[in-house]
Amino acid sequence: MQPIVTIRSLSKVYRQGEMEIAALDNVSLDIAQGEFLSLMGPSGSGKSTLLHIIAGIDRPTSGECRVGGVGVTELDDSQLADWRNQNVGFVFQSFNLIPVLTAYENVELPLLLMDLNGARRKELVHTALELVGLADRARHLPKQMSGGQEQRVAIARAIVTDPKLVVADEPTGNLDSASAEAVLEILRTLSSKAGKTVIMVTHDPRAASFGSKTTHLEKGRLLDVA
Amino acid sequence: MNIPGFLVRNAFRNKRRLLLSVLGIAVSMFLLVTLMVVLRELTQPPNDGGSSLRITVRNKLSLANPLPARQLPVIEKIPGVEVVMPFTWFGGKFKEDEPLMWPQFAVDPRKFRKIFGEIRVPEDQYEAWVKDRTSCIVGRDTFKEQKMHIGQKLTFLSGIYPCSVELTIVGVYEGSIDDRVVWFHHAYLDEALGDWGKVGDWWIKATSTETAAQICALIEAAFANTSDEVRAESERAFQLSFVSMWGGIKLLIGGVSTAVLVSLLLVTASTVSMSIRERFRELAILKAIGFQRRELCAFILAESFGLSALGVVFGAGGAWLISRTVDIKSLTNGLFVSFEVTPQMLGTAALAAAALGILSSVFPAMSVARMSVVEGLRTLD
Ligand SMILES: Nc1ncnc2c1ncn2[C@@H]1O[C@H](COP(=O)(O)OP(=O)(O)O)[C@@H](O)[C@H]1O
Ligand SMILES: [Mg+2]
Repeated sequence: MQPIVTIRSLSKVYRQGEMEIAALDNVSLDIAQGEFLSLMGPSGSGKSTLLHIIAGIDRPTSGECRVGGVGVTELDDSQLADWRNQNVGFVFQSFNLIPVLTAYENVELPLLLMDLNGARRKELVHTALELVGLADRARHLPKQMSGGQEQRVAIARAIVTDPKLVVADEPTGNLDSASAEAVLEILRTLSSKAGKTVIMVTHDPRAASFGSKTTHLEKGRLLDVA
Repeated sequence: MNIPGFLVRNAFRNKRRLLLSVLGIAVSMFLLVTLMVVLRELTQPPNDGGSSLRITVRNKLSLANPLPARQLPVIEKIPGVEVVMPFTWFGGKFKEDEPLMWPQFAVDPRKFRKIFGEIRVPEDQYEAWVKDRTSCIVGRDTFKEQKMHIGQKLTFLSGIYPCSVELTIVGVYEGSIDDRVVWFHHAYLDEALGDWGKVGDWWIKATSTETAAQICALIEAAFANTSDEVRAESERAFQLSFVSMWGGIKLLIGGVSTAVLVSLLLVTASTVSMSIRERFRELAILKAIGFQRRELCAFILAESFGLSALGVVFGAGGAWLISRTVDIKSLTNGLFVSFEVTPQMLGTAALAAAALGILSSVFPAMSVARMSVVEGLRTLD
């Protein structure tokens, strides 16, 4: 299948005084469209850094990263923001919903940046909430929901704009096993049924087993090049 | 929901802090407007019947320079002038002592009551004063405080002129703003100085309030380009210029207003940056979702602007309401007569609030603009 993400010789070096830390060391990787990739590795191995560069919220020191034919590393900050809005959905370990907004409003947030009328927005938000099984919680504030529900709202927010790519950084790290399973199931459905490319960082092998493919990072290097 | 709705939601996220911040700004804005009102009262005396009938004429160069006595007939001829009276501050002390805390003025007793109509003296005492060239009347407060008695002799040595006067108390007066003065005959001062031929100031009573301002201009014009140019002012203006000579009240009020604004700016700026810093992570999420840097900056500006706007509405609005509903004149014993909050003051307060809103959002907005998403996500909440 046609790769949607193409990474070539990607490096990210942090300088701390005289010390140089290579968070990513010459990484090359292809990710196929519709794939559910699990990125595994010990803490500090560069998983988040790689995910951030693919998702266009961080920049490499050198190398190339293309997503859907777009050279993400070549866009300026403003272009990147627009590109993220249309192409990437984010799911984080600590849910990161806006506490003063209801589930519905949190999901609606990315749509406010698009040229859509209220009726169309409503339709999209409902579809997304239904997909994660929380249509009945639309009016709830984050603090009125369980962690698992919050994370599902976050997934709804990530997919409401219908992005090609969904990135998830330890999405089950703060969840009990039952909630984690529900979240992983949704992510798997996104890739298998909706054709989205899902990249998930985890260090839990059970979570990784939900993916269609697993890649290991260690000290900024890929261990098992496909 | 839309963007304005999102902003309102954000503004109300911490209701107590919002309330306290708005209150803080409101109180400062109230103070600012009040100071502007006071400044206006002090610099432009209102048209109050009683005191604006009185006009003082003094040397244009300095209050301390006397004027020639021959100016009297010239002033008397000016239309609208009812009475002209010499008025000289004696600056007396007892022998070698310190200058006295209660002043002595040389005046013309015959004209005195026409000009200071509010002063009350028993008729027989007044007549006695008019008749006796070396007599004086003393304010009730001084009379009591110094345990004086009618018929007592007072010898003053002038701290200003090379002479002394020996006066006999023939009466006690009350009813002025300051019942502490010793009033005596100007003719006696003239004589003591060996036909001095000068006066400290002229005090005039105008026939009507309406003509007072015009008379001032006519008097000043009458002596323009002479060796003794004069400044004519209604009594209130005179008192105020006297006050500002000492204390620079205007400067003081300006300084206090500036201090109020600066401290308000510091407090508001720190409140805004604190509330933004607490939300760094959320703002990073918004950035990740696709909000542009300029949009986030606009959000911060709108929030801080809204805060200042609420503050100024309550603060300046409150001052305006008070000026409309409370009788300031009787509350301050006539010190403040109109206490008017003008549209110009409200405009100034609104401008100050706008500047406050912009300035206090500058640094938070800059830090949010500079923040990278990854950096923002790493901040703990
Ligand atoms: N801002 C930074 N400054 C310095 N070092 C950093 C910074 N961000 C990440 N690193 C380092 O880069 C490496 C990879 O980090 P990260 O991608 O977060 O690892 P992981 O997600 O696999 O735990 C780590 O050694 C980390 O300490
Ligand atoms: Mg990580």
